[in-house]
Amino acid sequence: MMNSTLPWRLCAAAVLAAVLSTIVNAASGNARPAPSVSLPDRSGTVITLQSLHGRVVLLDIWASWCPPCRTAFPAYDALYREYREQGFDVLAVNVDEKRSAAEEFLKGRDFQMKVLFDPKGTAPEVFRLRGMPTSYLMDKRGAIRFSHEGFTDKLVPQYRREIEQLLAEAP
Amino acid sequence: MKARPAGSDCRAAGVVASNRWTILVGGLAVTWIVVGLFVFLGGARSKAQEPQAESVGLQFHTFVDSRGVTVLSPTVDLGMDFTNRTGLRVGFGVDAITAASDSCARCHAEGARNAREFVNASIIKTYGDTKVSVGGEFSHEDFYQASTVSTSISRTLNQANTTVAGGYSFSWNRPQLHPDEIVENQLAQSAYATLTQTLSKYTVMQLGYELGSILGYQSNPYLRTSVDGVKMVGVHPEERMRHAFTARLRQAMPGDVYLEADFRRYFDDWDVNANTWSVGLSHEFNPRVTASGIYRRHAQQGASFYQPSYTGSPQFYTADFRLFPFDSNLYTGRLAITPQRGLLIFPTGTSLTAQYEFYKSTTNFEAGIFTLGVRMPLKHP
Amino acid sequence: MTPTIRVMLILGLLAAGSSLTACATVQPWQRSRLAKNSMQFNPDPALTAFAGHWQESREGAAGGLGLQGGGCGCK
Repeated sequence: MMNSTLPWRLCAAAVLAAVLSTIVNAASGNARPAPSVSLPDRSGTVITLQSLHGRVVLLDIWASWCPPCRTAFPAYDALYREYREQGFDVLAVNVDEKRSAAEEFLKGRDFQMKVLFDPKGTAPEVFRLRGMPTSYLMDKRGAIRFSHEGFTDKLVPQYRREIEQLLAEAP
Repeated sequence: MKARPAGSDCRAAGVVASNRWTILVGGLAVTWIVVGLFVFLGGARSKAQEPQAESVGLQFHTFVDSRGVTVLSPTVDLGMDFTNRTGLRVGFGVDAITAASDSCARCHAEGARNAREFVNASIIKTYGDTKVSVGGEFSHEDFYQASTVSTSISRTLNQANTTVAGGYSFSWNRPQLHPDEIVENQLAQSAYATLTQTLSKYTVMQLGYELGSILGYQSNPYLRTSVDGVKMVGVHPEERMRHAFTARLRQAMPGDVYLEADFRRYFDDWDVNANTWSVGLSHEFNPRVTASGIYRRHAQQGASFYQPSYTGSPQFYTADFRLFPFDSNLYTGRLAITPQRGLLIFPTGTSLTAQYEFYKSTTNFEAGIFTLGVRMPLKHP
Repeated sequence: MTPTIRVMLILGLLAAGSSLTACATVQPWQRSRLAKNSMQFNPDPALTAFAGHWQESREGAAGGLGLQGGGCGCK
């Protein structure tokens, strides 16, 4: 005869497992190793994400036709200028199908962060991007620690907190 | 359909007033239950959202028709974001009717001036992939006042390839039977639902349905028809149920050309049936200059109680041209320009639109509508 | 429900169903054409509102303008 309390104990165990997994996920910030990415910059030099291990990296996937991406562009460049000396890099990966559309946006803009070109969309595929824009903050060991879907200026203080947290960690 | 019994103005107003709150509360309750379901089932999570288009727009419309009526209508609208999830939209406009509309000219041979002002506002909140808005509009002119509250909700699914949306609005309209002092009541409500689906990288379609209900005074106090040789102000039913089905398509074609095609099937319980379809092409010369041409055809049957003139004692009779059978053609040309460095005092990202429309119907009515618009971003894009 | 309404609803559901099965999932980074103004159903709400206002003042049919969706799908 089945123990009448067994179904309740099984339920309790399932709930406990779910709660624990949530706690574990929260503590780790859903950290996962960043995929391998190699893309050319404006001069044609191929930059690999792995070459930036040891530095905190923000990888932003953007397009000229995406209004919040356009808003985010100068904000990310400002963060790069602020934290670059402390070991922070920004890779702005453009996914416009036509390079001319990206260049039209970049023309006349003063920016210092690295812009990479990915017309075939390989980076968003390997990063499993779900919405434009999405930015990924990676720690010095190359693990994705934070990601943000969408952008408004009001998010910049949160970005600063996360960047400073990762910069303070040991390599 | 019920005709308004003679001498029952006050009683009708009382019945309409008691129904008004029932309809409003019921409609809003249903809408918010749906909103709650959307948010709950969608798992409203807080995340950064695209800024609502923060901009200010100015448009000037000039409407000139074959009756000699000229309407000058400036409108202003403003969109602002308070937080990354909350936006505000406000609008204001004026219709200034000058010269003589054919109704006013019968009594005011020297010409009549009338202005209709309207103001509207809405709050938009974003919860993850769900957007909810609540708003209202108030308009006022001599002999007519309208107050509207509305709400809408939309949710994107399937990585933004599918959008479901719906909305509800309730209006309390008060026409005055000029030159009498009598003010009538009319309650109008409508609800709509749409489904938008991306079919490919180049094609998107939308299906929609709108249901409308109007209760109360719906006659036109300014137009008279012949009943047994005597000119009489028309009498319309006091209930009307309206349906509109729409199907729309947008197709990106080679050479930066875009096709738009819309169809609307309308019918109501006054037997006004109409098919309206439009087709247009746009060409993007470069990212800053786009030209468009659109043709629209509207064909409608007249109301069941429409006749050119009446004999005997008809229950309903009308001189309202909107209930006549007729066809119409509308031709639209539009040019949109976004200068690279802004324009004069306007900042970078400012866009200009110029549009001309020519409307001609088989009721021998023609109109030309010219629109000039400017939209300025509140932040540098 | 009148026969006409019933038929329209059935046709609409069939069209919606068949369109959904026929469509492909477009990835968020592939929406460059879909993001164009010319691909929107209501790119200029103020212009649409004015057109609806004067057309309703001349024609017996109304509605079908409160529509949303499509676009860049941006967050």
